[in-house]
Amino acid sequence: MTAACTPLYLDYASGTPPAPEVIEAMTACLTGAASAANAGSPHQLGRRAAAIVEQARAQLAELLNVPPATLVWTSGATESCNLAVAGAARFRAHRGRHLVTVRTEHKAVTDTFRALENDGFEVSWLTPGTNGLLALAELEAALRTDTQLVSVMHVNNETGVVQDIEAIGALCRARGILFHCDAAQSAGKLPLDLGVLPIDLLSLSGHKLYGPQGIGALYIAARPATGVKPLMHGGGQERGLRPGTPAVPLIAGLGAAAALAARRLAADAVAMRELNRALWNGIRELPGIHRNGAAEHCWPGILNVSAEGVHGESLLLALEPLCVARGSACNASSGEPSFVLRALGLGDALAQSAIRFSFGRDTTPADIEKACDAYTSAVMQLRRLAPGGAA
Amino acid sequence: MPGVYYSEQVRRRFAAARYAGSVAGARAAASRGDTRIELSAQVRDGRVARLRYRVFGCPHTIAAAEEACSELEGAAIAALQQFRARDIMGKLEIPVEKTGSILLLEDALAALGRRIADGPAGDD
Repeated sequence: MTAACTPLYLDYASGTPPAPEVIEAMTACLTGAASAANAGSPHQLGRRAAAIVEQARAQLAELLNVPPATLVWTSGATESCNLAVAGAARFRAHRGRHLVTVRTEHKAVTDTFRALENDGFEVSWLTPGTNGLLALAELEAALRTDTQLVSVMHVNNETGVVQDIEAIGALCRARGILFHCDAAQSAGKLPLDLGVLPIDLLSLSGHKLYGPQGIGALYIAARPATGVKPLMHGGGQERGLRPGTPAVPLIAGLGAAAALAARRLAADAVAMRELNRALWNGIRELPGIHRNGAAEHCWPGILNVSAEGVHGESLLLALEPLCVARGSACNASSGEPSFVLRALGLGDALAQSAIRFSFGRDTTPADIEKACDAYTSAVMQLRRLAPGGAA
Repeated sequence: MPGVYYSEQVRRRFAAARYAGSVAGARAAASRGDTRIELSAQVRDGRVARLRYRVFGCPHTIAAAEEACSELEGAAIAALQQFRARDIMGKLEIPVEKTGSILLLEDALAALGRRIADGPAGDD
């Protein structure tokens, strides 16, 4: 079942390889005259580094259609989510301490909400329907006069389910409630026009859109004005919201990634649809195969499937050299069936066998064919081995 | 799976699956949590002539069952009840977190040995 050969990467939802343009931008920063300079230094090389930081900010701002000044650099979406949720909740705590989120959010969000619960905030935890979508009526029923913040992710990192963030945001904005959206899986992949969408806070990571690891951003709306209490204290960088010496090469990389994503958005979307369709069509005829998340509700860059009668840990090893995920990278270490899939109504047996395939710019039709063959072979072999099998 | 170690020994045996299946003869099973093990054996002249396994479980359990069958096929029947999880865990470098599953294999082999001792076993 396993073979020692070249890894086939189908785990783009965990991380994407830096694009050549990104590497070029970062290399220029790492080797150029300003490579040692602190972007906060007033001298010539410091100003050069600062200009790189602001150019990258403008590039990301163009992707999102926002003023550059609304973007704060962070170390990634996890930090952005923490800053957005905890920072906004604490800033508005004098007005009310009720918050709302969804059980299927990334742990960067759910763990932050749990920490706020421990600090005396009250959190309403909503459950999506079995299609993975949050019902607007359920959200509306949860909102109260003391609700200050709602957090709902755009694209679920495990299933690819896409929430109606425009409708959710409109519901919140009408009531003066802040809306945070974790867009780690959608920034640079789905259109996100924050000049139009009623979103107050938005988190993203560089390494999910072909930029480097270790850098992300938080969008904080200027209109209506959105206050956030910083989590860190220090040198006053990023308007005092996220102090620390700017990571100029990483920021340049994210800026280049954003510029590239803006150019490639439409073409990448078409490619993802084709790859998703090819993989699902290649394995759907296997008996006892379940697709987790209906295609019409999902971003096609992710395909999550479960197989009856198969042990998930053994399936993952049997799929090597395919690089895929059980649950998500952030949850995989626990070995527990995914709470996202359980929330969709999957029993433990199906949830534990779930595999997430996720595609990227470098994924080819030949890769998908190999993935189909590997998955089919692994599932059939493990079923033959199991009690009741035909080995 | 991050944090789970698969030694080269485990990987080889997991991939091999030479002893996967079943034979007509004595049977025993054990299950706990999400692990299920079924064993079957044929006996001739007081020795285990053929030994097969079916496993729904993690790679370590499958590899341990594969190795156990390899060691015990051809052995005296008494060897089934003398199998010890700690010995195979050491040989295959199975992490201590997997002790429960390998002990389940030990239980299944012991039950198989008792079943053979208690009643007629299948012949070739």
